[in-house]
Parts: sequence; structure tokens; C-alpha cells
Amino acid sequence: MINNKYDVVVIGSGVVGSSIAYHLSESKKNNILVVDKGFPMSGTSGSTQAWVWVHSKTPSWYGELSMYSAELYPFLERKIGDVEYKRTGGIAPFFNEADREGALRLAEKQAEVGIEVDVLNREEVLEKEPALSQRVAGATFCKLDGNVNPFRLVELYTKAAKKNGAVFSFYNQVVTITKKKDIFQIETDQDTFYSKKVILAGGPWSKDLGKMLGVDIPIKQVRGQILVTEPQSPFLKHTIGGIRQADNGEVLIGYSKEEVGYDKRSTLDIMQETAKMATEFIPSLAKANVVRCFSGIRVMPKDGFPIIGEVPEVRNAYIAAMHSGITLSPLVGTLMTELLEDGETSIDLTRFSMNRFDQMYSRISE
Amino acid sequence: METDLVIVGGGPAGLSAAITATSYGADVILIEESFSLGGQLRQQTQLHANLPSKFFAERGTSLVKRLTSQLETPNLKILRNHTMIGAYKNGHIGVTNGKTTFEIEAKKNIIASGAAENAWIFPGWTLPGVMTAGAAQILLNREFVYPGKQVMMIGSNSFALEVVKQLYECGISVQAIVEASETILSRDQALLSMCKKNNIPFFLNSTIESVSGSGHVEKMTIRTSEGMMEELEVDLICTANGFSPILEAFQIMSCDLTHSEVLGGWLPTYSVNFQTSNPSVYLAGNAAGITSLGSILLTGEIAALSALESLQFISERDSNRKKAALWEELYQIETFFNKDTMLARLELVKHYHSERGLPLPDFVDPLKGEMLFG
Ligand SMILES: Cc1cc2nc3c(=O)[nH]c(=O)nc-3n(C[C@H](O)[C@H](O)[C@H](O)COP(=O)(O)OP(=O)(O)OC[C@H]3O[C@@H](n4cnc5c(N)ncnc54)[C@H](O)[C@@H]3O)c2cc1C
Ligand SMILES: Cc1cc2nc3c(=O)[nH]c(=O)nc-3n(C[C@H](O)[C@H](O)[C@H](O)COP(=O)(O)OP(=O)(O)OC[C@H]3O[C@@H](n4cnc5c(N)ncnc54)[C@H](O)[C@@H]3O)c2cc1C
Repeated sequence: MINNKYDVVVIGSGVVGSSIAYHLSESKKNNILVVDKGFPMSGTSGSTQAWVWVHSKTPSWYGELSMYSAELYPFLERKIGDVEYKRTGGIAPFFNEADREGALRLAEKQAEVGIEVDVLNREEVLEKEPALSQRVAGATFCKLDGNVNPFRLVELYTKAAKKNGAVFSFYNQVVTITKKKDIFQIETDQDTFYSKKVILAGGPWSKDLGKMLGVDIPIKQVRGQILVTEPQSPFLKHTIGGIRQADNGEVLIGYSKEEVGYDKRSTLDIMQETAKMATEFIPSLAKANVVRCFSGIRVMPKDGFPIIGEVPEVRNAYIAAMHSGITLSPLVGTLMTELLEDGETSIDLTRFSMNRFDQMYSRISE
Repeated sequence: METDLVIVGGGPAGLSAAITATSYGADVILIEESFSLGGQLRQQTQLHANLPSKFFAERGTSLVKRLTSQLETPNLKILRNHTMIGAYKNGHIGVTNGKTTFEIEAKKNIIASGAAENAWIFPGWTLPGVMTAGAAQILLNREFVYPGKQVMMIGSNSFALEVVKQLYECGISVQAIVEASETILSRDQALLSMCKKNNIPFFLNSTIESVSGSGHVEKMTIRTSEGMMEELEVDLICTANGFSPILEAFQIMSCDLTHSEVLGGWLPTYSVNFQTSNPSVYLAGNAAGITSLGSILLTGEIAALSALESLQFISERDSNRKKAALWEELYQIETFFNKDTMLARLELVKHYHSERGLPLPDFVDPLKGEMLFG
């Protein structure tokens, strides 16, 4: 039954919100409600490539964050069940010998934080992944990279959180948030909730949620379009820059970035460009039929890096908004739980605080 | 590829629109996914009456020939085996033949994608031998293949009875017609007396419980009005659960949708000109609400005239005069059996206009009194 008083209300039930709810529910110390305006997976987490990707994340402190999160996946699976996590190894091919220097620099930088990146020559890449184009010049490779089934991931986060007593309410849009004394009053389409703490996990809509607290959250919406082929017999062993083969044989392909707001349409311009690029990478894909396309809206903080932590000047309000939320969700859930329960975190979050946007950040005057 | 007008769908609605549009000199490209024109009319061997005045009662299959014979004009380009699969950022449609995908720069688009049969789901519904009534009709009349020897029809609308008739006439034994409600849905006297004359039993108040068989339909169980289970041996089960507009092309073009049970479920919103919420997209045929062949042909003509008017191939005055006559005829034909479809259509159109503060043009005035406010 839906109560109306909670210790923590999480707004948004995508991969970020559901992971936070799950990790926070583990100790069973808090009454937790998760509200979402749509159905499960209706946000960005339902339209993503879902790589768990580490190796080309720069600067290296960002790579390090991704590495810690990727390392949590095997443990996560033991707790919440099979999310089809596969540590396939990741290959980012390059087609120009001139790119080798950049690749070597990347490997060197990532090594400083303990991420092993190999720079492969043409023969080595083709041996690892024979389906790649003969034109390939080389690649960077990292064995920590992989991918996951985002649908199972969010579903199992949700299930496990429910098992621990968290309550979920879908089709219930948050309209206003007001703080009276130390209590947040959260008005939705259908209910009024009261909570000691509130966590904004609204993905691409985070800006709207911020406004409700009088705060400007510096994120942009960046559309990505993905092509899905009919199932192919398993032929890709690795997660490849822009391309991965899912367990059911479908190949997901996507590279695009467009700033078009919340517009989730697919356009043929991008689809054709994407298909062309895919066949340049993997010539045999030219024979595959594309059966579906979809778009997702990336949650892109202005500087590209995650926003995790307390909302400045609004005590007990927290935010988690980021690109690569699939990769980062196990770690973000863990860190948020530490922050709420202990007030301190095992990884310093200063870098991820909204305060870094100081120049950009402006309090909306009432 | 450039053109004045692109028409997506070469069924009766698209053909009617193409004939109208080319006759005014517009350059038209007709896109049809199949290798041949005619859409779902291609397997309709039955006689269609209640058609617009310029037609006479005729079999669907021969009407296809009549319509396509009017298409031999240099300002029409027909792309068979081409499917509209998307739109470009600039709003133009994109089509593919499976090998190449390209843009068609049309000033206006008419989408006449037709309707699909609604599935009927029960335990065993995926066994070979379970198919829609339309699928059986295609096998029989288009492919010349017997879909089975002993058939059970689920559903009793006119389409179900029409297919029963066609199966029966080809020597397939009709075990029964199963209907969940307490009366036969069809009001078509000719079809009803055909069933009576041939002693085809109806199970009213009855539902399908399950279908079984090893690799193919062999038995079905129905729950009858008394709650009894009845087991019958059949090798073909046809389901007739109504039609719904095919919407992908409209969704690609970002047309607003609305819901109307009577018109077949979700469908695009449109104006009295059969213009959708996307000003470059018009629609026609069963995509604009499930109806009968006469109406389908007329909606194609109205959509084409509206598009021609906005492209200035016809003056507003002439176009309105023609559209007034076509709406009048549409009214006559569509209300011939009952008024529900026309009422729902007018409701939808009225809503489109009132939402945008657009007055209903004079040419629907004759209908306004009786239909909208009567
Ligand atoms: C094309 C594409 C490819 C990507 N590939 C990868 C990848 O390979 N690896 C990777 O790690 N990441 C990838 N990402 C990024 C990743 O998908 C996102 O970072 C992640 O899904 C964000 O999750 P989220 O929970 O923050 O957002 P969402 O999943 O959007 O969840 C936010 C939720 O908040 C709800 N909400 C919003 N406002 C309200 C309100 N007012 N009231 C109630 N509920 C509200 C929404 O309904 C939504 O369900 C990709 C993204 C895209 C678009
Ligand atoms: C199997 C079946 C049997 C039927 N039998 C009867 C019957 O016996 N009596 C009756 O009254 N009604 C019947 N109907 C209903 C049918 O919708 C109408 O009879 C009539 O054919 C509708 O005309 P239309 O032009 O609107 O659409 P259709 O005749 O369906 O024509 C639409 C055409 O558009 C094409 N098309 C669709 N999308 C695209 C695209 N994206 N790109 C390119 N081409 C596209 C299709 O290939 C098709 O040829 C049947 C329907 C079905 C599906």
C-alpha cells in the first residue's frame, strides 16, 4: 500500500534511480518510495546501448570511476540475479596509422590509475575480431569492458529493492517540491508525499526537477539513434566502438549525437549514416537486415562528467544525473547510500558536486 | 527524386487518390510495398455493391484491374516493391526496395496504408492451422491453395460470414461459427440466409477455450452458452476480430493519433480535408477509419483534391464544390447500413477543427445539421 510519509523519496526509476533505491534498501534502515512519471524503462535507460565501458573514459579519474563500477558488476549479479552482464573486452578500432600515437597516450594515462589498455596492431585486432574490416589499422583494447541487458538490470534492481521494502509508484509525475521546515512536500499527479530526503534521478528531465527546488541543473539533452539488426549467428566476440551483439543475436549499432531536446524520433539521415559507418567497421553487416531503430536522450552534464551529491543550498536534497549511467549505476547506488547513511563516501565526491559549475551555476531568484 | 505528391499505399484508396491527382496534371509517385497493386482488394472475389456513382457493382478482383488501367499516364511513377520506412530530418519520406534507400522530395504526401486484422489470442493460437479470416481468403483466392478441409470460424461479423461463404463455395466443410455475444453480429441478409440455407450452425454465447494438435490444429474446445465444453475436430480455425488502421507511416511523420472504438481503435486525427496534424500529410482509406469499399474510394478522392488544392492545381472554389459533392456521397454510402461510422468520423473531424479554431467549411453544412447537432 502507498503510504504518504517516507524517509527517502527517489524521483525517477531509470537505471540510476532504481540502483540508488536498491542499494539504499539493503540496510532496511529507510522507508523508501520511488516515483516515476512513466512506465518502467520509459526514460533513457530503456533506449541505450548498455555497454559497461571503461577504457576510453578520460581523464583518467573518470576512467577510474568507471572501472570501479565495472568491477562491481559480478558482485551485483550475485545479489540481484542474472542481468546478462558479459565482460567481453572492448575494442576501439582506428583506421589511420596516425591515430596510434593517441592510442598509446591513452594507454599510458589509463595505466596510471590501473586500467590496462593494450594498443593492438592490425594483425592482433583481426585475430581477436576477424569480422572487423581488413582496412583496420589498429585498436585499443581493454578486457574490463563489456555490456549488460538494461531491461533486466533495471527490472532486477527494482525487484530486489521491493523485496527489501521499497515502494514504487509509476505513472505518477512529480509536479512540485516544496520544503517546509525539514520536510519535503512532494506533489504528484495523484498524491502528496512527505519525505525527509529527496533524490533527483530524473535523467534527461533533471533540469525540470531542479527548477522545482529553485536550482539550475546544468545538463543538456543529446539524442542518440540506434539501429537494431535481425538476429545474426554469434560472430562478434567483443564490444566494439559503436557496435555490440546482444545475447539474442541482434546487433545494436549507434554513434550519433544531436542536440534536439526531448525529440525522440528516428531520422533516416542518421540511420543511413549509421548503417554506412557500421559496414565500414564490419563489412559483413552489409548483408544484415535492420529491423528496428530507436532513439534515446542522453543525459549530458555541461562538462560531460557525472553530477553526484547533495544539491547546493538545499539540505537533504540529492542529485544523480549522468551520461553512462548503465556503466556507473552499481557504483553510484553504492556511493549515494554511503552519503545518505554515513554522511561520507569511500570515493571523494567533490569533483562530482554541482558546485564545480560555480560560474555556470546560478540560483534562480524567486 | 522530386514530385508534387507522393502516395503511400496502392490499395483502393491510394489508387483512387492517384487517379484523381494525375487527372489534374500533378506529378505523382505511388509507393507500394507489394509487387502488385490493389492492396487487400486483390483477394476479394465477392461482389461489392454500394459504390460511388461512377462505379457499378463489381468483384473486388476485377475492380483492381479497372482502377489500375486508369493509371497509364506519364505524370505517374509507380514504385512497386518499395516501402516507406522512415522520414528525413527535413520531413521528406524515405523509401527502400531492400537494396537502396532514398528520399522522395514531395510537396505533399497521402498515406493510404490500409488496415490490419486484429489477432485473437487463446491457448494454442500459434499452431499452424490457426489464421485470420483474411489470411484464409488470401490463400484461397490469391494463392489458389486450400487453407484446410474443415473450418471453424471465430466471430460472426459480415467479413467472417463472407469468408465462410467463400470457403464453403470451394468445398471446405464449415463446422460452425462461434460468437461470444448472444446475437450474430452481421446484419447482411444475403450472407445470413446463405448460412441458413446451408445449415451452418452458430454457437452463440460461446467462446474458444483452447486449440490442440501435434504440429497442426487437430481439435478445438469451445465453451458453450450452458457452460458446457464441446470438443470438435477441425484442421482450420479462422478468426475475424475486426480491423485496425496501420499506423507506422503516420507515426514516422509525427501525426497526432486519437482513439475511436467504432473506427477501429487508434488512428490519426484529421480535418474535413483528410489532412492530418502534419500539414504535409493527408490520409485515405481504412487508415482513416474502418469502413466499406465505397467510402474507401471516396476518401482517396477527397484527400487528393485537398492536396491538389493546396498545390494550386485546382481553385479553392472548384475544389470545395467537388468536395461538397463527395462528402454528400460519402454520407449516403457510409450511412447505408448504419450511421455509427459516419458519426464517429464526423466527431473526429469536428474535434480536429474545434481544437484549432478552424471553422467547418460550408461544404459540410448539409451534414452539420443532421449529423452533428441533430
Ligand atoms: C543512444 C544512447 C546510448 C547510450 N549508451 C550507453 C552505454 O553504452 N553505456 C552506458 O553506460 N550508458 C549509455 N547511455 C547513457 C545511459 O543510458 C544513461 O546515462 C542512463 O540510462 C540514465 O539513466 P537515468 O536513470 O538517469 O535516466 P532515465 O532512465 O531517463 O530515468 C529517469 C526517470 O525519471 C523519470 N522522471 C523524470 N521526471 C519526472 C517527474 N517529474 N516525476 C516523476 N518521474 C520523473 C522519468 O520518467 C524516467 O523514468 C546511452 C544513452 C543513449 C541515449
Ligand atoms: C487480409 C485482409 C482481407 C480483407 N478482406 C476484406 C473483405 O473481404 N471485405 C472488406 O470489405 N474488407 C476487407 N479487408 C479490409 C481492407 O482494409 C479493405 O477491404 C480495403 O482493402 C482497404 O483499402 P485501403 O486502400 O485503405 O488499404 P489496403 O487495401 O490495405 O492497401 C494498402 C496498401 O498500402 C501498402 N502499404 C502499407 N504501408 C506501406 C508502406 N509503409 N510503404 C509502402 N506501401 C505500404 C500495402 O502493401 C497495401 O497494398 C481486408 C483486409 C485484410 C488485411
